[in-house]
Amino acid sequence: MTELFAAALFVFVLVTALATAALRDVLGVVVVFAAYSLGTALFYAFLLAPDVAMTEAAIGAGVTTLLLLLTLAKTVRPTPDQWLERPNLPALAVFGALFVVLVATVVEFPAVGEPGVMWDNPGVTQYYIENAYEDTGVENAVTAVLAGYRGFDTFGEAVVVFSAGIASLIVLRQVVFTRE
Amino acid sequence: MIPGLSGDLVTQVFLLVATLLMVLAVAVFYRAVKGPTTQDRVLAVNVLGTNTVVVLALLAEGLGEPSLLDIALVYALLNFLMAVAISKFTVERGGVL
Repeated sequence: MTELFAAALFVFVLVTALATAALRDVLGVVVVFAAYSLGTALFYAFLLAPDVAMTEAAIGAGVTTLLLLLTLAKTVRPTPDQWLERPNLPALAVFGALFVVLVATVVEFPAVGEPGVMWDNPGVTQYYIENAYEDTGVENAVTAVLAGYRGFDTFGEAVVVFSAGIASLIVLRQVVFTRE
Repeated sequence: MIPGLSGDLVTQVFLLVATLLMVLAVAVFYRAVKGPTTQDRVLAVNVLGTNTVVVLALLAEGLGEPSLLDIALVYALLNFLMAVAISKFTVERGGVL
């Protein structure tokens, strides 16, 4: 049954992604992209990464749409002359090549949840699996690595995101000031 | 759990309903792509958001992962944001926040 659900979810994400790429109306793309974000969040949840799904929920449902709409409000929205975008053949060729490379790589991966597979670095992976709970007190091993073992790294990322947020707030405020 | 039914069967039913809702989501998405007005699209994606909340709740039971319920709550809380933002955008041009 889980395979059936995964197949349905896969079809949904694929359809939303294609629609986001193909639609011509910019405002329509913003709306359709929100649906794509819903699909990806469901994928993260289905693959048992609740922290990533939570981030996708907050970013996709809240921030991305608002940012794109703000950009549309500050610039001009071209009136669509047709419903769908005409496909760009060179871009399609590049995409096809990338697709072949990605599929060739993914086929080599071990299946999700396959027992006995230690990806890339067996010693470290085994250490995290055995000691993550005693060391950090966090039940989810992925969260333990992200916020515990490489906490300073994550802290640096948070600083970057915070300063980017401050900078965009300053820019947005300046545009408002010049208009008044 | 519902008394009188084996836990495994109930889990399968939860996952089956989640799958059916995902198939229906594609049908709802047709309205989001076809439009023709922006209001149609916003309404369609709003329905998809509610659909996602239900699917997440069903998955939490079907996969035995109660932490997925938190994500469902976040979506239930944030679902209205896009509708409000786009409504403000179309009514008063430039006013999003």
